[in-house]
Amino acid sequence: MIQLKGIYKWVNSGGNRVFLLKDINLSIKEGDFVSIMGPSGSGKSTLLNVVGMLDDFNEGEYNFIGQPVHQLKEKYRAQLYKSHIGFVFQAYHLIDELTVYENIETPLIYQNIKSSEREAIVADILDRFNIVGKKDLFPSQLSGGQQQLVGVARALVAKPKLILADEPAGNLNTKQGTEIMELFKQLNEEDGVTIIQATHSEKNAAYGSKIINLLDGRVEK
Amino acid sequence: MIKNYFIIAWRNLLKNKTFSLINIAGLSIGLACTMLILLYVKDEISFDKFHKNVNNIYRIVSKSKHGSVDYKNSHTGFLQGPQFAKNVPGIESFVRIESGAEDIKTGTEIQSQELLRVDPGFFSVFSFPLLNGSAATCLSEPNSIVMSEDFAKKHFGTSDAVGKIVMLKDENQFVPFKVTAVAKRCLQNSSIKFEVLLPFKESEAEAQNKDNWYNFFLNTFVVLNPKANLPAVEKQMQTFYLQEASETFKEMIKKYSSGADESMGTYFLQSFTDMHLSTELPAQNGLVNASNPIYSYILSGIALFILLIACINFVNLTIARSLKRTKEIGIRKVIGADRKRLVIQFLGESFLLCLVSFSMALLIVQLILPVFNNLANKALSFSYLFDIKLIAGYVILFVLTALLAGFYPALVLSNYKPIETLYNRINLPGKNYLQKSLVVLQFALASFLIISTFTIYRQFNFLTKTDLGYDDTNIVEVNKWQMNHTEAAYFKAELLKNPGIVDVAPKNLGQWMTSAKLFNDSTISFNYETIDESYIPALKIPLIAGRNFSGSYPSDVTNSILVNESFVKKAGWKNPVGETVNFFYNNNEIFKVVGVVKDYHYQALNQKIGPQLFTMKNGNLYGTFNIKIKPGTATKSLKFIQMTFNQTFPLSPWSYIFKDDQRIKDYESEAKWKQIIFFSALLTIFISCIGLFGLSVLSAERRTKEIGVRKVLGASVSSIVNALSIDFLKLVLMALIIAIPLAWMAANKWLQNYPYRITPDWWLFVLASLLVILVALATVITQAVKAAVANPVRSLRTE
Repeated sequence: MIQLKGIYKWVNSGGNRVFLLKDINLSIKEGDFVSIMGPSGSGKSTLLNVVGMLDDFNEGEYNFIGQPVHQLKEKYRAQLYKSHIGFVFQAYHLIDELTVYENIETPLIYQNIKSSEREAIVADILDRFNIVGKKDLFPSQLSGGQQQLVGVARALVAKPKLILADEPAGNLNTKQGTEIMELFKQLNEEDGVTIIQATHSEKNAAYGSKIINLLDGRVEK
Repeated sequence: MIKNYFIIAWRNLLKNKTFSLINIAGLSIGLACTMLILLYVKDEISFDKFHKNVNNIYRIVSKSKHGSVDYKNSHTGFLQGPQFAKNVPGIESFVRIESGAEDIKTGTEIQSQELLRVDPGFFSVFSFPLLNGSAATCLSEPNSIVMSEDFAKKHFGTSDAVGKIVMLKDENQFVPFKVTAVAKRCLQNSSIKFEVLLPFKESEAEAQNKDNWYNFFLNTFVVLNPKANLPAVEKQMQTFYLQEASETFKEMIKKYSSGADESMGTYFLQSFTDMHLSTELPAQNGLVNASNPIYSYILSGIALFILLIACINFVNLTIARSLKRTKEIGIRKVIGADRKRLVIQFLGESFLLCLVSFSMALLIVQLILPVFNNLANKALSFSYLFDIKLIAGYVILFVLTALLAGFYPALVLSNYKPIETLYNRINLPGKNYLQKSLVVLQFALASFLIISTFTIYRQFNFLTKTDLGYDDTNIVEVNKWQMNHTEAAYFKAELLKNPGIVDVAPKNLGQWMTSAKLFNDSTISFNYETIDESYIPALKIPLIAGRNFSGSYPSDVTNSILVNESFVKKAGWKNPVGETVNFFYNNNEIFKVVGVVKDYHYQALNQKIGPQLFTMKNGNLYGTFNIKIKPGTATKSLKFIQMTFNQTFPLSPWSYIFKDDQRIKDYESEAKWKQIIFFSALLTIFISCIGLFGLSVLSAERRTKEIGVRKVLGASVSSIVNALSIDFLKLVLMALIIAIPLAWMAANKWLQNYPYRITPDWWLFVLASLLVILVALATVITQAVKAAVANPVRSLRTE
């Protein structure tokens, strides 16, 4: 599903080239649950963003379900990630002005799904995540764990093939964190969703079927 | 999707009350001003267009050269209308309109009524609907009268007045006139407005006398054949005129002219619809509401200024606030929004805001329409708004405003990269030149208008308060047309029996211009005043040489004159007393100067003092009295004057005005402009300041962390207030640097219209600038202080 070949990413800082990613070679198959580990600044988020096509890279080849991302124009790339990738963030990143229901519904709106269909899909996912009672609340009225639950629901609602989660449990307490990780595991096993998560918790990383260690932008062998 | 956008827009509006309020207040004021001006402009350009035949109606006008001066004349004599209509094939018919006033008697009360005398074809040329009576014949009998429904109601208590009788003074006695038709009230956008119409009077002798080509006192309208070619018609008119009137012209020149270079003039046609806004050939002499297109331009300019300033607030505040919304934009992009949708979303927000403002604006328009009517001299009503073209205009205005205010922010906001916004890596272009230049633009406009207001106020004050060179207090002016010296003397003697009346000075009515020859055969034109010996002392006009008229010199009523300084200067006399003036057109009568008066402002201050000549010649008629009364006796004296007037002149209408009130009336248009500019200055500075306030709130918020760090490092409150305010003050100063020279130029240009004027002093600009700076400072300082006194520990922790 994902092939990264010799990916380099750098920024120029005061005449020096600072490498954020160095010669990343990676292959991820459909149905994998990959954990990326490493200390702060090791490039976990950058790698996730490159895979998620939110960020670009300077060198290398990236194939996503057979499409050469490095050759695609911005517009097609956006098209590609919109229809296949869901994002989960450490800071949840819900839209404060929208209710739980509306937050989950928004990706469907952007995919031009009809209103009646949207209603059914959102109702389904609210039910599945046990948050039907919270659908009219605003994010500020929810606990962190509940907000992240909504975040995951929103990432899943458009039925993506791949979920990219950047420290999904980073802002949560242990119990809430465990619940989210259990949820990921279930999604991966039962629904066959491919998941890549970045984390620096050994415990959370262990939920993955494969662990990649990053240090200073390099994959540790 | 629309619903989703709408919800977000609405919640954002509610969540940020300050900004919504600033934007809505500004935009609704701006929109309301623009709506009012649209209404005004539409009314201006719709003038006279309601006549069915309007495209074929023209007014006969002429142009001529007097020496090197081009002169345009909208007046015509008896002959132009009928002669051209008879002899030029393209002209189908004509209507002459003469304005005048007659006394009308109701019971025992006599009132002077303004009216128009018109040719019988009046109602076939113009489309004034009649309630009763026949349009074709109502003006064909000599003693018929057509009146408006209002007049009929006032006079008879009903608009069903056809067949009733009105007593009207004709040749010194009251004669019955029969009402033949009642017309609907004239539309407000009509140059011809009448309460009473009488048939045009013309004797056979007058119609034959070719001198009447040169007796200009009418407005003559003609209807052209729709197929006629305008230039061809004009050419034929001129050819006919030249062959018909050249003999007469030569005789006239011989008789009256001083030999200056005079041309016969050229006749041409002015389109009826061009008349209302024409400055060269205005609607005058019985035609009303003449306007200058400059008013439309200035008012439109001001309205657009105000709207522009309000839109700038929207743009500036939206962009400044966008930092807070970057997260939302990032999320939306990540979960699938493309740029187009975000642009639509932000435009939608500006549309919603505009919609709210638009409704507010409608409300404002309804509330302030009476005030505006008063200012703009109009009778517009709210129902005028419901006109298809105006509604279309408003919809365009609405869409344009929403686009103008929303488009740029939408483009900027939708361009953010999600990765930057979500990881707080965004920094708005730090310098933000656009925002700064927009603020400078706002304050430059506001300062310009404030300086203009100051200038106009000072000039207005100058016009109304300057010493006129005579004493106009406690003087009642009473008009009595056409009165010989014996009548005047009798009335004067009767009045002086009352101890409250100090002096009575009769004078001719209005201003007469005439010319005479000097000893060296050069001609001089001047204001020709017929007075008596009381006039100079009653008005306290200083004499600088010679003596006043006096009863003890019998020759004063036959051949003595007084002149003013300007006359002396123009004549080039060294020793004016004893010089002579020859009234060449009046049997070469010779008059001798017995005294010289100091120049005084016998006209309003927007007219230059010219040569003036006073006589008390016996044959000249008086038309008005200047009655000087004792201070504090106004009510009693007025009653007495009215009683005496009614006893002495039972057939004449009574009216009076205090001379110093007249002075205020003379400057009505200045007073109106003063108010208009004052209000627009007020609105622009208000809207600019609420915008500045919004920016200062945001800037204080954005800099909380910086302020916290500075305070921890030991900065004092005052130094932080300075740091926060100085940025904005710099912008205001820059605005002043731009506005001051422009305002100075504009003030000078405007003041050129007045022969007597103030000089725009430097302190005026300093004062206005200080005012602007103070207002701006007051606006930003509250936020600066609030931010500066905040506890740094808190602001640092929340970051």
